[in-house]
Amino acid sequence: MVIIKNKKILVLFGITVLSFIVMSILQPSIFLTLRNFQSLSVQIPDFGLLALAIYICMLTGGIDLSIVATANLSGIIAAYILFNYTNPGLSGMYNNLIIAIAIIVGLLVSIICGLVNGLLVTKAGITPILATLGTMGLYGGLGIIITKGLGITPLPDKFVAIGNGMFLKIPIPLYVFVFVFLLLALILNKTLFGFQTYMIGANPIAARFSGINVNSVLVRVYMTSGLLCGIAAIIMIAKAGSARSGYGAAFLLPAILVAVLGGTDPSGGFGSVTGMILALVLLQILQSGFNILGFSSFFKNVIWGGMLLIVMVLNFVGERLTQRMQFRRARLSNNRIDSK
Amino acid sequence: MKKMLRSHEFYLFLIIILISFVITMINPAFFTLDNLFSLLRTHSWEGILAVGFFLVLLSGGIDVSFTAVAVSCMYISVYTMLVTGINNIALAFTVAMVLGIIMGAINGVFIAIFEIPTLITTLGTLTAFHGALMSYAQWTTRTVISDPPSAVKEFGKINIFTITRSDGSTIGFSVFALIFIVVALGTWLMLKYTTLGRSIRAIGGNIEAARRAGFNIVRTQFFIYCYVGCLAGLAGLMFGTYIRYINPLFIVGSELTIIAAVVLGGASIMGGKGSIIGTVLGITMLTIIRTSFVLMKVPSYYERAVTGLIIIASVAITAYRERLSRRQARVIKVE
Repeated sequence: MVIIKNKKILVLFGITVLSFIVMSILQPSIFLTLRNFQSLSVQIPDFGLLALAIYICMLTGGIDLSIVATANLSGIIAAYILFNYTNPGLSGMYNNLIIAIAIIVGLLVSIICGLVNGLLVTKAGITPILATLGTMGLYGGLGIIITKGLGITPLPDKFVAIGNGMFLKIPIPLYVFVFVFLLLALILNKTLFGFQTYMIGANPIAARFSGINVNSVLVRVYMTSGLLCGIAAIIMIAKAGSARSGYGAAFLLPAILVAVLGGTDPSGGFGSVTGMILALVLLQILQSGFNILGFSSFFKNVIWGGMLLIVMVLNFVGERLTQRMQFRRARLSNNRIDSK
Repeated sequence: MKKMLRSHEFYLFLIIILISFVITMINPAFFTLDNLFSLLRTHSWEGILAVGFFLVLLSGGIDVSFTAVAVSCMYISVYTMLVTGINNIALAFTVAMVLGIIMGAINGVFIAIFEIPTLITTLGTLTAFHGALMSYAQWTTRTVISDPPSAVKEFGKINIFTITRSDGSTIGFSVFALIFIVVALGTWLMLKYTTLGRSIRAIGGNIEAARRAGFNIVRTQFFIYCYVGCLAGLAGLMFGTYIRYINPLFIVGSELTIIAAVVLGGASIMGGKGSIIGTVLGITMLTIIRTSFVLMKVPSYYERAVTGLIIIASVAITAYRERLSRRQARVIKVE
């Protein structure tokens, strides 16, 4: 299993490097500029956080279709506070406090959304697909009810600086993303909670019989997923300077694509954060390249959908091949034993 | 008899009666023949989509790409009429249904042959189909067909029978409603009386057991997704003849509503459980709730949240009843 994991990542790395080279050759004047890299690194953080959110849910064998709706709702509520309670006339201290409160409230909302998802999956016994489908409608609908379809704008400058500011020529959101990603990798690989997450995904019944409190871990996983969406939301509304109920709707499928491309098994138990990050970078390179080459955004969707299907087919074919190899090896070794 | 009275469908029926009663109290315009026939005319296409989705759910899968299939067939069939100049509605329906079958077959290949999880496959095909349609529509420079051929417009106006009221105005029972009834009835017959229908339930109940029992899994799954595609094409073109305005951005986005209707009707996500009657009742109830917003002066932007809540509530209730029946099944009384 370890060899296959490394092989997949190696292939992915190869594809990423290849596409980078291809894009550079096709449009070197635009692609290889600092500006382009900066725009790439601006798009990676919020989308990457959403992809991480779906990734941890997939690790447990579930899925979270409500990531975009959760992010929207948290963003809208945070923006609501920012819009209604900041006052440029008052002191900077007060405004900073409001900004901090808005961010905290936004994150709390997203955690609650995740909590509800987790409870629906564990206590109510609903499959993650339908539960998160329902909450996707519910959270999105709540966002529409609050905003009545309009956008909440403008947002205070200090807050917008979080999304658009740079530190050492690198956008601030990228620092946030790298920090979160490293923290998540740490949690998943080095803590009991992370280990239990993998176990539940690999075999829920065995996990329960080995003493893992499956319900508790699942709820925490969905809460974490919600939190990641909340962080993504803060970054998204800071970047855009406004909050609207439709933001990020196009992110759902690419998020799943990135998780699957990165080697995550949708039935749970296997996945690597590194692979996911590679897939993320690959997607961004492709997307930026497509934009530069003038592909319409609709055609991009065809590529995303097609890529998802091709990757899944390749996974399937690869599994069948390894199964056949193992079977042949077992038969050979049996023959050797018999012939003794 | 007792079993029927305790069934999910019967409760749903009672709730529909109750809700209709409440709504009529608030606004008597609801329970008029005019309104009811109008509802049938406007929402029969959604009923056909629901029947198709129900079949997929029954087999234990999920298909979210049916809206993309529907709108693609709607656009392509009308565009074919424009390009060939043939003003024949039968041609349009043939093109729509054949294209639907082809798109469904694509789903079938990935799901049946490559065993890719159904949600992921159909998420991929939803995006790919819709992206392809939009790209094609932009390429043909007729992104929107605002004036479809007369055959399309005429078909939407057909009424099976009309009732003339005392003041001379007429109410028509739309052909859409008839098509919906035929589809629902035909699907019900197929599910109940053919081996193919039985195999769908078998796969949904326990796919491994179905395989050992000799059911041809690949062929059945292929059939299911082609059938859903065909129905989606039919429903899409129906919608086009009703609206008389072909916009490739339509229909996609309403997946949640159809799924809500089907799970409301008692179909289990695990597969194997559910009925056509339940699906019909489900889409009826959902249509009543959605359209009653206007009658009860509730703002329409509540719709998405309410639909989500309905999904959560009905799936939770279905899951609860399943757990209850499983617990009861464990008790074996030995005399």
